[in-house]
Parts: sequence; C-alpha cells; structure tokens
Amino acid sequence: MFRDMTFSDVSRTEALDGTCAGFVMDEDTFRAFYERTARGVWAYLARVTGDRQLADDLLQETFYRFLRAAATHDNESHRRNSLYRIATNLARDARRRSLIRAPFSLSSNDIERAGSSDPRDSAERNTDFTHAMLHLKPRERAMLWLAYAEGASHREIADALGLRPGSLKPLLFRARRKLALLLGRAPEKEKR
Amino acid sequence: MNPLKRELKDLEFKDCEFEPDALAAALQSRFPEWVDAGLRAHVAGCAICSDVVAIASAVDEAREEMRGRATVPDSGRVWWLAQVRARREAAEAAGRPITAAQLIAFACAVGLLGACFGATSTRFQSALGWIASSAAGVHAKAVPPAAMGVLVQHGAFILAIAAVFFLISTAVYLALGRD
Repeated sequence: MFRDMTFSDVSRTEALDGTCAGFVMDEDTFRAFYERTARGVWAYLARVTGDRQLADDLLQETFYRFLRAAATHDNESHRRNSLYRIATNLARDARRRSLIRAPFSLSSNDIERAGSSDPRDSAERNTDFTHAMLHLKPRERAMLWLAYAEGASHREIADALGLRPGSLKPLLFRARRKLALLLGRAPEKEKR
Repeated sequence: MNPLKRELKDLEFKDCEFEPDALAAALQSRFPEWVDAGLRAHVAGCAICSDVVAIASAVDEAREEMRGRATVPDSGRVWWLAQVRARREAAEAAGRPITAAQLIAFACAVGLLGACFGATSTRFQSALGWIASSAAGVHAKAVPPAAMGVLVQHGAFILAIAAVFFLISTAVYLALGRD
C-alpha cells in the first residue's frame, strides 16, 4: 500500500522517470472523477468494513487498482460500477485476511459535526443506525448501502457483489427487513 | 430463539409494485410532504413500502453524515502516488525475467561443472563404484543386473542430470515463487 512507501522508494522510482505508468485515464479526468466519487467510496468502505482506518487504506488501493485496470468505460455509471466492484472485492479480501479491527463508534465530536437541524436527534438516529448496521453481515451492509445510499440498480449491485441479478431482490428484501427490525420497526405480521 | 431470528426464519419474500415509486420518493426526499396522497396512503398500509421508505431515509441520512466526515486524500497526491507505485511495479516486473534467466544460467553452470567433475575425478568415480557395489550387495535380488550395469557405468552422468533438474527447478521457484 502507499503507506509502506518510503522516501527512498520514491526517489528510486523517480529515477525511472520516462517509463510510462500505463494508465488509460489522464490526470485531469482522474482528478475530476476522484473528486466526484472518493467520499462516496470512503463512506461505502467504512460502512461495509466497519473500520474507518481500514477504509482510508482501502480507498487509496481502490483508486490505484482502478487506474491499473486500464479498462475503458462507456460512461460515468459504468466507471462508478467498476470502482465499487473493486472496493467490494478489497473489503471482502480484507475481511478474509481478518484485517478488520474493532468496529468504529461515533465520537461526540463526530456527532456534533453531523450537521442536522436537530443535532441531538440526528446523533441518536445515526448511532442507532451504526449499531444496527454492524449487526448485519458485510454483504447485507454492502447491498443496502449500494441500493439506498448510492442509488444503484439491482443489476449494478449484483455485479458489484458478484451475485446473480435474479437472487438479489429476495436478499435485499431480507437485509432490509433485518435492518428494520434492528432499528426497532414492528415485525411484518403486526403491520398489515 | 430471539425475536429477530424468529422473525427472519419465518420471513417470506414479497414484492410490491409500488416499491420503485416509494423508493424514488424517499431518495429524492419527497416523502411524505411532496408525494400524492395515494402513495402516502399506500406506504402507510404496506409493510414492504414502509420498510423501503424508512430504510432508504435512514441510509440516506447516514450517507450525508458520513460524507461530511470523510477526509479523503487530495486527488493530486493520489494520482502522483499511483504513478510512482505503477512505475515501481513496472520496474520490478521488468527485472523479474532477467533474474530468472540469471538463476537458470547459474544452475546450468553448476550442473555442468558437477558433470565434468564426476567424469574426470577418479576418486569420485571410485567412491561411486564403491556405493554401487555396496548397493548391489544389499539389493542384488531387487535390482536387475542390466540396470545395475547402467548405474555403475553412467552413475556420474545420471547424478549430474538430476542435479541440473533440481537446481533449475529451485532457481525457477526462487525467481518466480517469491511473488
């Protein structure tokens, strides 16, 4: 990862200047794309892994792999899907390697910065939401976040998570119900 | 069994035709004020759509809050570091076949030297002959006489070939297996 790179590594590699990094995307396009997507990808990684520090590391790795993939994309949506697919795979790998540390909790400073019309209510809701999300499986968290935070279609979610599009709807339904129950919403039978 | 597990165990997948409308209204922050009364009434009575609206609103709120807290590195820095890393990896990848070729050449040279030594050194050959005759004494019945003759006559050559194969495979493993 980038953090492992020392200044001597940097100067050594700078001496290799003239070799092409081989990215399909030029700097201006990348920077504009990064500005549009980085915060969203970070939020996604933080939610899926439940670890902010890990999300910081995985964010840089995600963009690096995206650049290295040297794939051409038809449109912005396609490009974003690739990015989220890479992020999902990295989060999954990190979980497999048991890199995920203790789940993060919101500090009082974080809560105050949340910026809501009623900060206390918002903070309580967010804390409840964070705890509820941590009780879900990583795949369920990813699914719900992509569907409702990123507005991804079922096909896009299935693509990012490596699922069959046909199986996504029931899985999403189940994850949503589970989160609703964890947030204290009434069981289904009592509603109708 | 806890209530959550019990509820999920009995859960049956259900679909609602108004789910996309309810979701769109929630994601666009139109719900409940800026939607028509029909949809509002439907959401109030439909377990699926009310879950969709509640969860989508909660996730959207959390998203805004998290995006506000996110401190991502500068795009220019990310680009620069990616360039540096890509060049470093390219240089490493370019150096790898040279290392492999060098190791294979070294292994071949060692094997060749071993073969020459085995073919010319009388002391080595006499030692080999002694080993072969000892082995023949022990396993006289197990090893056919023809095979024993081949072993005694070409033992050094066979050993040299085996050494070359061993060294080449070790060299390839060391050169490529490290990655």
